[in-house]
Amino acid sequence: MANLNIDSVKDRTFDAIVIGSGMSGGWAAKELTDKGLKTLILERGRDVKHNIDYPTTNMYPWEFEHRGEMPMAIQEANPIVNRCYAFHEDAAHFFVKDADHPYVQEKPFDWIRGYQVGGKSLLWARQTQRWSDFDFEGPARDGFAVDWPIRYKDIAPWYSYVEKFAGISGNKDGLAELPDGEFLPAFPLNTVETYFSEHVKSKYSNRHVISARCAHLSKPNQIHIDQGRVQCQRRNLCQRGCPFGGYFSANASTIPWALKSGHATLRPFSVVQEIIYDEKLGKATGVRVIDANTKEAIEYFAKIIFVNAAALNTNLVLLNSTSNRFPNGLGNDSGVLGKYVAFHNYSAHISAEYDGAKDWTTDGRNPAGGGYIPRFRNVYKQETDFLRGYASGFSAYRYQQRPWDGVGSSLKENLVKDDLSGWKVGSHMMGETIPKEHSYVALDKTLKDQWGIPQLKISVDYDDNDAKMKKDYIEQLTEMFTSAGFTNIKASSDQRAPGLDIHEMGGARMGNDPKTSVLNKWNQMHDVKNVFVTDGASMTSTSCQNPSLTYMAFTARAADYAVGELKKGNI
Amino acid sequence: MHRRTAIRNLALIIGGAALLPACMQEKGKPSIALKNVDLNADQEKLVGDIAETIIPKTSTPGAKDLGLHLFVLKMLDDCYKKDDQQAFITGAGQFTDAVSKKYDKLFADLSAKQREEMLLSIEADKDPKSTTFPKELKTFYGIIKGQTVNGYTNSKYFMTRQVVYELVPGRYNARFPYKQKQSA
Repeated sequence: MANLNIDSVKDRTFDAIVIGSGMSGGWAAKELTDKGLKTLILERGRDVKHNIDYPTTNMYPWEFEHRGEMPMAIQEANPIVNRCYAFHEDAAHFFVKDADHPYVQEKPFDWIRGYQVGGKSLLWARQTQRWSDFDFEGPARDGFAVDWPIRYKDIAPWYSYVEKFAGISGNKDGLAELPDGEFLPAFPLNTVETYFSEHVKSKYSNRHVISARCAHLSKPNQIHIDQGRVQCQRRNLCQRGCPFGGYFSANASTIPWALKSGHATLRPFSVVQEIIYDEKLGKATGVRVIDANTKEAIEYFAKIIFVNAAALNTNLVLLNSTSNRFPNGLGNDSGVLGKYVAFHNYSAHISAEYDGAKDWTTDGRNPAGGGYIPRFRNVYKQETDFLRGYASGFSAYRYQQRPWDGVGSSLKENLVKDDLSGWKVGSHMMGETIPKEHSYVALDKTLKDQWGIPQLKISVDYDDNDAKMKKDYIEQLTEMFTSAGFTNIKASSDQRAPGLDIHEMGGARMGNDPKTSVLNKWNQMHDVKNVFVTDGASMTSTSCQNPSLTYMAFTARAADYAVGELKKGNI
Repeated sequence: MHRRTAIRNLALIIGGAALLPACMQEKGKPSIALKNVDLNADQEKLVGDIAETIIPKTSTPGAKDLGLHLFVLKMLDDCYKKDDQQAFITGAGQFTDAVSKKYDKLFADLSAKQREEMLLSIEADKDPKSTTFPKELKTFYGIIKGQTVNGYTNSKYFMTRQVVYELVPGRYNARFPYKQKQSA
């Protein structure tokens, strides 16, 4: 190659490379550039610039060709992504289409992906809860997976650090199972949510209904203004990308922050084929990418590498990074890489009605979505026939009753009526699942993607513990609803495949013992000290809290450690 | 969400799947280009007359003023399964036959009152087991009804002049008096 001269190698050499630009990659980029490292951010998809690349963000409902509905041809061509709740006309351009990026489902798995700068941080549901020692001590106490190599005290200051920058709204509820954070004002519970919260508090000593904590700027601080973000305008159109930067996304926050430092280079359309390992040096020296458009292979070099490709793709990159030293994937002396994958069980819901509080309604929109019920099962001790537990969403609402019956002028009159329904209430389950060796991802031996990279084979399923936990969720929430005087209670259980929760985790888990884990307590590979994995792949267990805030905290903590080690000459 | 669910439910209640072939149509082209549905100008006019009966021009605009019949066709063409599209065509013929049997006229030649009466009689036939009207006819009508109302309540006119849609509310009041909401 003519351009492979010394200058070219120099041009392709950085202090750090970050693979992925989403929820955790954006944080890695921000932290590394804040510390002065010349950082290359690799993104396999296109660039999505804040505001500029949010084509639907200011569109009115009537401006959508099909008023939001996806055309049938697209639905039928994309059975997987079409099952995602947010795959509609206003945000479909931020989702991976099934045919473009095939994978092998050894067992049914709905793999929902966002291949662009910002990744799924544009699309997430923005719920942000800290994990507690009831989560980090879980595997050791209950005898599954391996012990987490950290405890809450190790991560707590980093939660505070990322919360201040990202902007998290919530109340200080004083619950040991859901530690308080650095909060902006909470979005309050409405009349019936408050009623239920008070009722539950009076009836159960260990159950709480609190305002959902979310990554919205209810009241921005200077650090948010400095990012170019302003107050959340309660539009609830977040999945389109927010022109106000009202919720946290890598696009509105960490990526532009990193670029503003002058130390970052962002390279979209860069599909990482593998991490390059140098046997003589005993460390990784860079990555090889395939340009998504030209299919040209290009190598980039750096002293440290952060892998933030999103949980399952991080596994794919590591498994595909083979060498004489690591024939089964980078840093995989333990043989556990790709294994112990788990997710969250969202497959149960309950709805009901409340015949009261009819003088009250709400006005405007609540971006937090309503209430949150932290895990109350098996918290202090094992008390059921299943391990772990579930958190629950809870919300109450009234809707416009505009009868569609009839035709003509009476129908026109009905359609502008202001009458509201009575209160409806609903809850959904968010259950922890147990990581197991046989829940795994691997490279398919024959099938490849359009860049010649092996397709990922996914083999993850529910188990008996999930079934028992779901039964308990339905029983307990039904009891709580009944006790609160709710009527017409209907529990439903859907047959969704794992993956649709979009909370897949594990495969490159952290642990104390290099024989049974891939990463140490700093998210650093046991076997390759200059490679760090700080996205969902690193998680030893799943808790039942939403994971993104924890990825952010782990990333900032690992970046701080990595730069310290680099400066000491240890890596 | 509720709106979409309502449309689907209406289609489910009123209609069902049919696998009858669409008739060959050579009676003129419709005014908008359709990719998947073979509709002629007469059928388009019928859809327009039905939509106008559902949302008539009064002191405020009606379906034709707002182009709702074209929206119905656009949605039919893009957002329905092939079975539903075929049932729609079959149902259009059955509808004309049912009108002819009852009034000995075309729908276009009925009085406004007769048109409403005809449509209301279909809406009254809610029992899925009923054979008063064929199921394709009910799919045909269900799609027009659902999408006419969908198009109307999501039209710029309706969302700026009737029930105002706020793109940027800028507020969330968790406890708000119902009476005040009604008089807003």
